[in-house]
Amino acid sequence: MQIKVKLYASLRRQKFDEADWEITPDQKIASIVEQLGLARQDVGTVLVNGLHAGWDETVAEGDVVSLLPRMGGG
Amino acid sequence: MSEKTISNNPESVVYKRCTVDLASGTTTFAQVPCKNLEDVLGGFGRSFQILAERDIAEAYCPENPVILNTGLLTGTSIMTGMRSYFSGYSPLKKSGTGRPGAMWSTGSGNFGNKFKWTGLDEVIFENRSDKPVYALLKEGENGPEVELKPADHLIGLTGHGKIMALYQEYPEAHFAAIGPAGENWENNYMGAVVMSTDNELKSGEPKSRFAGRGGMGSLMGYKNLLAVVALSSDKLQKITPEIRDVNRDILKSGGSARFQPASQGGGGGTWANIEVLQVFHAVPLNNFRPKGNDDVERLFRDEVEKEFDIATEACHRCGIRCHNNLFYKNEDGSRGKLAAKFDFEPLILFGSNLGVHEPAKVCDLIHRCDLLGMDAISLGTTISYVLDYNERHPEKPLFNGATFGDYDKITELIEDAGRGKLPGIARGVKRLSEETGETSYAMHVKGLELPAYLPDTNPGYMFAIAGGHMSMGTHMMLAKEGKHSLEEWTQAITTGGLLQVGYDMIGLCKFVGVGIGHDIIVRALKEAAGLEIASADIVAAVRRAYLRGLALELRQGFHEEKEYTLPAQVMDAPNPKVTLPKFITNEFLAELRQRVWSVFKPEMEGLLPVQGE
Repeated sequence: MQIKVKLYASLRRQKFDEADWEITPDQKIASIVEQLGLARQDVGTVLVNGLHAGWDETVAEGDVVSLLPRMGGG
Repeated sequence: MSEKTISNNPESVVYKRCTVDLASGTTTFAQVPCKNLEDVLGGFGRSFQILAERDIAEAYCPENPVILNTGLLTGTSIMTGMRSYFSGYSPLKKSGTGRPGAMWSTGSGNFGNKFKWTGLDEVIFENRSDKPVYALLKEGENGPEVELKPADHLIGLTGHGKIMALYQEYPEAHFAAIGPAGENWENNYMGAVVMSTDNELKSGEPKSRFAGRGGMGSLMGYKNLLAVVALSSDKLQKITPEIRDVNRDILKSGGSARFQPASQGGGGGTWANIEVLQVFHAVPLNNFRPKGNDDVERLFRDEVEKEFDIATEACHRCGIRCHNNLFYKNEDGSRGKLAAKFDFEPLILFGSNLGVHEPAKVCDLIHRCDLLGMDAISLGTTISYVLDYNERHPEKPLFNGATFGDYDKITELIEDAGRGKLPGIARGVKRLSEETGETSYAMHVKGLELPAYLPDTNPGYMFAIAGGHMSMGTHMMLAKEGKHSLEEWTQAITTGGLLQVGYDMIGLCKFVGVGIGHDIIVRALKEAAGLEIASADIVAAVRRAYLRGLALELRQGFHEEKEYTLPAQVMDAPNPKVTLPKFITNEFLAELRQRVWSVFKPEMEGLLPVQGE
């Protein structure tokens, strides 16, 4: 099934801004990140359709998965 | 504090203190035994115990000291171990009773190392000089020496100008100076301490670092202490295999990676926060009131790169390289002169939050603030209030009538504030809003202006003791994790969030980015300072130090309900443009306060000395 993946900041610069992505129906977010070739420790926040989500969650056809890098400030 | 003196018994650890009486010019040296682990670790853990012994009703009084000290890892070969701390009762932070709050402020550069290498751990500046002086701290044949020198030739120079003037005289030294803001302490409470870096001294460009928060530079100005010179030979600690491993782990940890250069696969410094927070329309804009538009995207790194050459640089021997210095491009494409340092706080607080979105203009505003030696957070946030007020009251505007985006008039405000001509701004947003009677959109907590993270996303600000994000590490929790329940926020404030301050005890930079009880910290203390200590003991010492600071706030009259709150606009007019959960209501804050105090208060008992003893 197809989802949309959006990447931000340093992740975007590594790969792409936005892309349609083929996944299997029961594929978890952790696996999607791996499939994208991103290091899990580089991803700080995952949003599914704008809401925070966890690594073990699955997504549905047409969902928008946004991946944000780790952030911090000072 | 020598390596030989470090042990697990705090009383057997002694540190070297010099007390300087600025009124008489006398200096007194002492070997001071540590009372507890907080004393051993240093920074505010030690200085706040000294401040707690004093009854201070006004920040500008001779009895209010400026305490300069270091952390246990300052001057070691642990990466980022170069911090120095300036502590005192703040002219800016004040309670409803009018009494000042205790504060510390810290910065990097190479000043902290040079200071530590003089053989001193702490200098307490008492009273005030009747004429401008600078303090020369140097290593002598028989130990550290301290002298006060006339500083008339430094009057009126920028912080960077003072540093470069002193550098001509002391080419082996590093420097901490105040700018015109600190000199105009009567009308400017937000003066910063400007600290020299290797890059600054080599290039002559104003690449200073700043101990900005709480007006410690203004307090120095009140004391007529215009600068501190730390003159010592370099005493670079041998990098053992164990220290090398610690430094490698600091660089490889996910914590610091986000601050490392984008060109090396890092996050590109705090700058990257703009793009991440913009996903939620949570980047401060027009006085912390995002409009849900894409204005801030003009300050994304990709956009700025079109106009400027970006150089990632570092403090002394630091591999994290978090500085993003912007240089103008010459016509032939080569690198021109320095435009400004572009970190998240000044970038937002002099950019989108003032309605200024052109990178060149933002650079100029940051640059002016830095040269005048002001805290970028306090100044930027106070000016955004003025612009907001003027937009609401076009018929009777404040000052020069500046409004959002009015670069020329904002420039005037910065210049005049820095030179003591606008006390209405330079005494901070709390006082200004109390004068106008419109406090709901004055973005401060306990008199300290908010950094560039929306209060709508961080009730943890209420329990920060030294500025919103530096002493309560909850400022990005909502964006990162989406957590917004009472249980989650109580837990965050009473455990992980308060540990952010631990770095301000041990001499490392927060950009090491791991929890203060992390194995990296335990190993660093052992290998570089000889202190074998369990993670739980470090965490407990940090907690006590924080709670002592909180107890000191209550003793200075901060009201435990009325002043542990957020700007009223957050609760009364939630911003529909921010896409994160809106959970902060008056009821939520009341319940959160009750829960947090019920955890903290029992632990605060006995942490302060009984006054008069």
